[in-house]
Amino acid sequence: MIWVVMITTGIMTFLMRFSMFSGLINKPLPASFDRYLRYVPIAVLSAIIAASVVIDPATNAPNIGTDRALAAIIAVIVALVTKSVLSTIAVGLSVLWVLQNLV
Amino acid sequence: MISVAQPLMRTAKKRKLVRNNPETPVILAGVFLCALPIDKLGRLGSYRAMTDPNPKQEFVHGIRDQLPLQLGVIPFGMVFGVLGMASGLTEWQTILMSSIIFGGASQVVFAQLWMAGAAPVIVGSSVTVLNLRHVLYSVTIAKYLRNLSLGWRIILGYLLTDEAFAVSIKRFEQNPVPRHAHYHLLGSGLTLWTFWQISTAAGVWLGTTLPAHLNLDFAIPLTFIAIVAPILRKMPQISAAAASGLVAVFGQSLPWNIWIIAAALAGIVTGAIVERGQDPS
Repeated sequence: MIWVVMITTGIMTFLMRFSMFSGLINKPLPASFDRYLRYVPIAVLSAIIAASVVIDPATNAPNIGTDRALAAIIAVIVALVTKSVLSTIAVGLSVLWVLQNLV
Repeated sequence: MISVAQPLMRTAKKRKLVRNNPETPVILAGVFLCALPIDKLGRLGSYRAMTDPNPKQEFVHGIRDQLPLQLGVIPFGMVFGVLGMASGLTEWQTILMSSIIFGGASQVVFAQLWMAGAAPVIVGSSVTVLNLRHVLYSVTIAKYLRNLSLGWRIILGYLLTDEAFAVSIKRFEQNPVPRHAHYHLLGSGLTLWTFWQISTAAGVWLGTTLPAHLNLDFAIPLTFIAIVAPILRKMPQISAAAASGLVAVFGQSLPWNIWIIAAALAGIVTGAIVERGQDPS
């Protein structure tokens, strides 16, 4: 049963990724949509960031006082200053470990 | 991968880029990735391409742009491997889910719901709704892929994940669009795929010896912070991120993980409206 669910879900995921260049929808979107599409990466990634940082896994409720939230704020500063993916991840994880183990 | 990457990295310009790169000390510190030519990586997005790179150069460029993100992907893949086993999935179910579904967060949700004994329809629909955001990626990138062969489009569709999209859409949005930009997506997508499979298997192999208090799952939001924060320069972008974040946080109780697509749409519309307010043309 798990295989059926897994494969069905996998096919659904693939179809969603493939949908708009599958050839089934032949009309390109009007150029006026570009104004919206420009914000796709930032909007989707911000949603994932907010949910993983602001939602306290212990209570499943919003909480901006967690170690994760503080580590994320520092990571944002590092990202703004260095524009480096590696530095952001390394500093963010280190800060989280320090906060959880030493403070 | 290493041998393909070598010729491109031999130019003097590249060496200068590496030498002047403030990231180099951090890269060198990433010892557990030392098997990769990662010390030669340029800063993400700062690669200065030739006017129209050939397919191989474009492919390598995609790999190089995707590699830094693997510092977040590897721990997350290991976390999924551990979690899959802890959820009562078998080794093969856990490992193969990473190529059948190939979507980090949605695999975690799948394993957790399955462990909780949710009905198969709930598991399937919940994961599907969580992955609805990929339609947004698909519609954004479609105009660049529309004229490729069916085989190409199927492969690139399979590889169109958060990370691959985030890295390669920048390439496609360059003006003029590089002629072989689809090789960039192929390179970045295959890189992610390879690391995701290996790290899942590593997580399965490590099992519960990987302590939960390391919070390695936090590496994924950190990766996305590294991508998003530097583009929060203007009001429309800031508004889009804020609206999306608010809906994501306060929409958590909505059924079937609708929060993510609702938040994404709220962010997109807000960004476009604010942009129109600033520049009504």
